Amino acid sequence: MSSQTVAAEAVPVVEAGAVGRSPGRLMWRRFRRDRVGVISACVVLFFFAVGLLAPVISWLYGKDPYTRYGQLESGLLNEYGYPVKPNGGIDGEFWFGLEPGTGRDVFMELVYGIRTSLLIALVVTILATLTAIVLGIAAGYLGGRWDAAISRLIDLLMAFPQQLFFVAFLPIIATLFVDPRQETPTHVKVISVIIVLWALGWMTLGRILRGATLSLREREFVEAAKVSGASPWRIIRKELLPNVVSPMLVQATYMLPNFVTTAAALSFLGVGLTEPTPDWGRMFATAAEVYRSDITYMFFPGVSMVIFIVAFNLLGDSVRDAFDPKTVR
Amino acid sequence: MLRFLMRRTLGAVAILLVISAVTFFLFYAIPRNPALLACGKGVCTEEQLAIVEHNLGIDKAIPVQYWEYMVGIFAGRDFPAGHCPAPCLGFSFRDNRPVLDTIMDRLPTTVSLTIGGAVVFLILGLGLGMLAAARRGTLLDKTVSSTSLVLSSMQIYFLGPLALAVLVYNTGLLPQPSDASAFTEEPWEWFKGLLLPWLVLATIFTANYTRMSRATLIEQLQEDHVRTAKAKGMSRPTVFFRYAWRGSLIPIVTIFGIDLGALFGGAMITEVTFSLHGLGRLAVDSVTQSNLPMLMGVMLFAALMIVLFNIIIDACYALIDPRVRLG
Repeated sequence: MSSQTVAAEAVPVVEAGAVGRSPGRLMWRRFRRDRVGVISACVVLFFFAVGLLAPVISWLYGKDPYTRYGQLESGLLNEYGYPVKPNGGIDGEFWFGLEPGTGRDVFMELVYGIRTSLLIALVVTILATLTAIVLGIAAGYLGGRWDAAISRLIDLLMAFPQQLFFVAFLPIIATLFVDPRQETPTHVKVISVIIVLWALGWMTLGRILRGATLSLREREFVEAAKVSGASPWRIIRKELLPNVVSPMLVQATYMLPNFVTTAAALSFLGVGLTEPTPDWGRMFATAAEVYRSDITYMFFPGVSMVIFIVAFNLLGDSVRDAFDPKTVR
Repeated sequence: MLRFLMRRTLGAVAILLVISAVTFFLFYAIPRNPALLACGKGVCTEEQLAIVEHNLGIDKAIPVQYWEYMVGIFAGRDFPAGHCPAPCLGFSFRDNRPVLDTIMDRLPTTVSLTIGGAVVFLILGLGLGMLAAARRGTLLDKTVSSTSLVLSSMQIYFLGPLALAVLVYNTGLLPQPSDASAFTEEPWEWFKGLLLPWLVLATIFTANYTRMSRATLIEQLQEDHVRTAKAKGMSRPTVFFRYAWRGSLIPIVTIFGIDLGALFGGAMITEVTFSLHGLGRLAVDSVTQSNLPMLMGVMLFAALMIVLFNIIIDACYALIDPRVRLG
């Protein structure tokens, strides 16, 4: 540690701006100085904006993801169903080309696909984080029998073959809502995907929060709150929760892109969202059928997903560094 | 060591029992009628439903069904459609044979895919990670780190078709992936057929292993005992490999065991992408055909692999780190 920082700690009044800054403020200041972090945050925000504003984009662009333009107008698709123009039919009218076979607009499909994927991932992240908070803090704070039960539950769920679980239980969850003999409506599929991802998505964070609570419980300020007669609810809300915000945020930024790719994998395997719902992952399933004749179709969903995941991972690292400047890079 | 293994085996059996019970319950109790699932989207008549129910053995109470299933694993079981010998994981009515037979048929592909892929990604991942950590801060380190960041963000369902299009269909550098040839009969054909899946599977994993081995090595290189060794005047390679590298292995062994356990249970996306017929493909096909007994069997097998590799990892800790005591 340099002598300068020691001096600053000893006489905090010298630097007027340093007084009364909350940890959140400090984190924000450190984050703002991290150029990679800011850029990746912008990229991530851009994707969320695209998802949120999909109807506006559709209105400005003048097309929607369901209409089969290639079949309505002649001269766009050839007799085998592939775009007539080179590079998947990219031109001024269809920015990202046409989908082989159906002749839908790829740009609109991607925009609405991002919307579906991010919606699912966001909901799962929120649900998983809430579950982890409730169960993790309950295990850590109540201890004893609660702790044993919740820890065993986490161990058990961790031993499940994850991907297999997702694939196997999706159709079963769907039968809770619809008779298996009938077609499953889209919203039921979305809800089923959310439920299976949520069921196995909260354990890592839950374990982290349990550990953090376990050590915080013995700290003086919690003891002090207890002695002064604070209710357990108040202690959890005012003493424990603010202290676990940083691992929570860091873990959530790692969780969300994971849910995006897992949900996409489910659609790719044909058990997640299916035609005609626009979905990022479903585009890969279509791409896998047509890539030998039209590889351009795969390009846009693939590259955009790589950009999104890279940006999100960089953002996660930056958030972690901003909370904990000690980490080695 | 023996006591440790026995204790862990008992624990593993307990976990497997619970997993099997939970899976069984989820499969056969949650759906309003599992027989309807087996019927598929078509409409079954009431008689057909009754036959399916009887075949699945679900015309009895759930605990009775589970008990019969468990007894079947140890003693074998008779179904209306045929006999299922001792480790009976169930009986598939789609193809009229015990589930375990099909799993065993599919196992060679999964094992080949896993072992070959693991060899590639371990060598590449650890090698690149070591290189980056040893030359930390240089251009080489930055190139390796950023490349592995991008590659780890790639998805097999994107990279796989891309590699197939470029390396197989457009240039013909590699043959079409296939799982047809056996290792013992035609090792060269086997190698050629699986090379591309190995490389694609390994690309994703390599990136993770590179990042991790770099990070842990850098941490280890700053440890006191490494500094002491350097100060004593030991040669750089000795310090690097004997002191730092060995210490960095623990987290890598942990992740490797988890990955290997998961891969032995079937690499679904890779197998579907390259149309290989391993356990992962079997699971996906069972879901689309609503083949519940098969799915239950694959699930149990995959869980067994995960638990098994957990024990192996813990035993490996003791080999790497003499401070770890088993018991």
